Amino acid sequence: MAEMIKLFVNGNEVEVEAGKNLIDAIGAVGIEIPHLCYHPALGADGNCRMCLVGLEEGGPPLVAACKTPAAEGMKVLLDADHIKKIQHDVLEFQLINHPVDCPVCDQAGECSLQDYYMTYDGQKSRMTVPQVTKSKKMDFGCGVIHDQERCVLCGRCVRFCRQITKTGELGIVNRTDTARVAIFPGRPLDNRYAVNVVDLCPVGAMTSADFRFKQRVWFMKKERGVCHGCSKGCNITIDHNREKDQDDLIYRFRPLFNEQINGYFICDEGRLSYRDENENRLTEARLSKTTMSLDKAVTAGLKEIKRAEGIVILISPDCSLEQMVSVKSLAEELGATLSGFSDGYIKKGDGDDYLIQDDKAANRAGLAALNIDSSQTGFEEALAKAGLLINFNNDLSLFYDESSLKKLFKEKRVIGVTSRNTKLFQMANLVIPVASFTEYSGSIISCDNILQTFNRAITKNDTLVDICEVASLFGGPLKTDRDRYDELKKIVVSLNDFDPDTIPATGLKLT
Amino acid sequence: MSAEVKTLKREGSTLAEKIYFVEIFKGMATTFGHFWRNLLDNSNLYVRHYPEVEPEIPVRWRGRHRLTSHDDGTVKCVACFMCQTNCPAECISIEAGERLDDKAEKMPVKFNIDLLECIYCGYCVEACPLDAIRMDTGIYSVTDNNRESFVLGLEDLLKTPGAFSEEEYKKGGA
Repeated sequence: MAEMIKLFVNGNEVEVEAGKNLIDAIGAVGIEIPHLCYHPALGADGNCRMCLVGLEEGGPPLVAACKTPAAEGMKVLLDADHIKKIQHDVLEFQLINHPVDCPVCDQAGECSLQDYYMTYDGQKSRMTVPQVTKSKKMDFGCGVIHDQERCVLCGRCVRFCRQITKTGELGIVNRTDTARVAIFPGRPLDNRYAVNVVDLCPVGAMTSADFRFKQRVWFMKKERGVCHGCSKGCNITIDHNREKDQDDLIYRFRPLFNEQINGYFICDEGRLSYRDENENRLTEARLSKTTMSLDKAVTAGLKEIKRAEGIVILISPDCSLEQMVSVKSLAEELGATLSGFSDGYIKKGDGDDYLIQDDKAANRAGLAALNIDSSQTGFEEALAKAGLLINFNNDLSLFYDESSLKKLFKEKRVIGVTSRNTKLFQMANLVIPVASFTEYSGSIISCDNILQTFNRAITKNDTLVDICEVASLFGGPLKTDRDRYDELKKIVVSLNDFDPDTIPATGLKLT
Repeated sequence: MSAEVKTLKREGSTLAEKIYFVEIFKGMATTFGHFWRNLLDNSNLYVRHYPEVEPEIPVRWRGRHRLTSHDDGTVKCVACFMCQTNCPAECISIEAGERLDDKAEKMPVKFNIDLLECIYCGYCVEACPLDAIRMDTGIYSVTDNNRESFVLGLEDLLKTPGAFSEEEYKKGGA
């Protein structure tokens, strides 16, 4: 727990954390100081002047809150007339050349300038001269579209590219009316975190090409989730909406602040991984070519299991811990060999020293924690002896090409339990559709050994079952969530002090 | 404040009325009075000759919707979704797309109004920042024999003209 200090805001005493600037310190207790250029990840710049506050006694009468550390006994003025006039006048300056095209702007609804105008300004423009026109819809690369007219020149995007990605593609050129955020000629944004500038931009100057015009933000429901794109386990906000007569669809992933894991950002690849949740999903169970209901498919699966001489169960390293224990206990029940072979998920050299990892599997640490063998030889030897492979969502095609897959599956029966309608699972004799990671609750362990839980965010029109349930339908002994958690507790010692609902939302660092 | 009580005399309790005989003829006299008058001269009937004679629709009447267009025929709507946001019946569904004719950045590629769900409240017209949707077609009767035809698309909404002149519409308090 950080050291606490007492200071006064508008004459009322508040207790805040020491060592922070006024915006963060006072913001943490629910008092907002308007600001455009300051962002906790990028530090104070002090160029927008929106956060000017008054100080009674000691120090200058006016200070920028982003650059002023909170100090014991400080008397901060926020609601004095002269402060209100400053906020009002700064906004009037910002809006001189702003096009006010909120109706067609994707940022509308989550725009600081819009919110501040409603709170602090609220007057009609007094300008009588024509507005300065600037370039619109400029392609900055990496799926970022820039609108110079909407820009308030806070420089967050510029600082992001300099401080965080250290690529420095953006800059502000010229002064006053002619100042613009721009790229160097022929040198567009070129880094794997570029779309974060869209989230950083307090106004609608940076918009995402992928999300452009797809939804108005107020229609979407927001749910917390954990990205399954790689083993980092970045926290995300899942923005989804069920439009009239349609299914519940995800429209974007946005980073969600988690100090322990990803800070304020996520990579572009993870951001776009929402598409896999909407597209190319397996929705119907299938025995060779005929589609059937889940009950019938399970019956067919049970028949296969009964008939089989030697079973290998393969599990995906993306599965949650709950799914892994379910499948593990199923394997023990059936006397099958369980493998977590998934070398194909590792892309050597793809990771960096920031967020992106080589390992594209979300829960490989979970495989290790549950002592599931994931060696190639273990898997191949077991499969050579077995007659039936039950594949729980493991994408083998990442490792084997089509001909070697055919060789592998020769004279074998294959049951695929999957969320994806890929070529690999079209080769299976029986496929059973299951929920994808936004549609179930569970927990995973990241590469940094942090255990995180997440809840179901999406409810499809035709809800699919979870892998846990398929495992229990196939005869697995773990029937309820409680059973699974108790089993998990036996294996993951750190969980002993926790219940499913008391695991910290920011993740539990395992020792 | 006490309510003012007015006691009405109960009719029909005299003997002559209770027998009905005289009363029947009195009633017939009224009926035939109307019959003969209308038969000889039907110029001022008490009933409306609908549908042969259509009623006069005032400018402020909220009829079926239409989308307005610029002088060159392009759609005024910029797909801001204000009407859809404001619609209490959730009968509007829009899909937005890129606009390339320099009039705006954005335009609707799909604009559906389900007239079976619409409650004709006019909130969409009020919400529109560009006067792109109006209910001034004067169409008050929407009939058909299948559900699909009640969903109006972008084309249908654009091709219906307004029933009033611009001047009348503006004066109508819109």
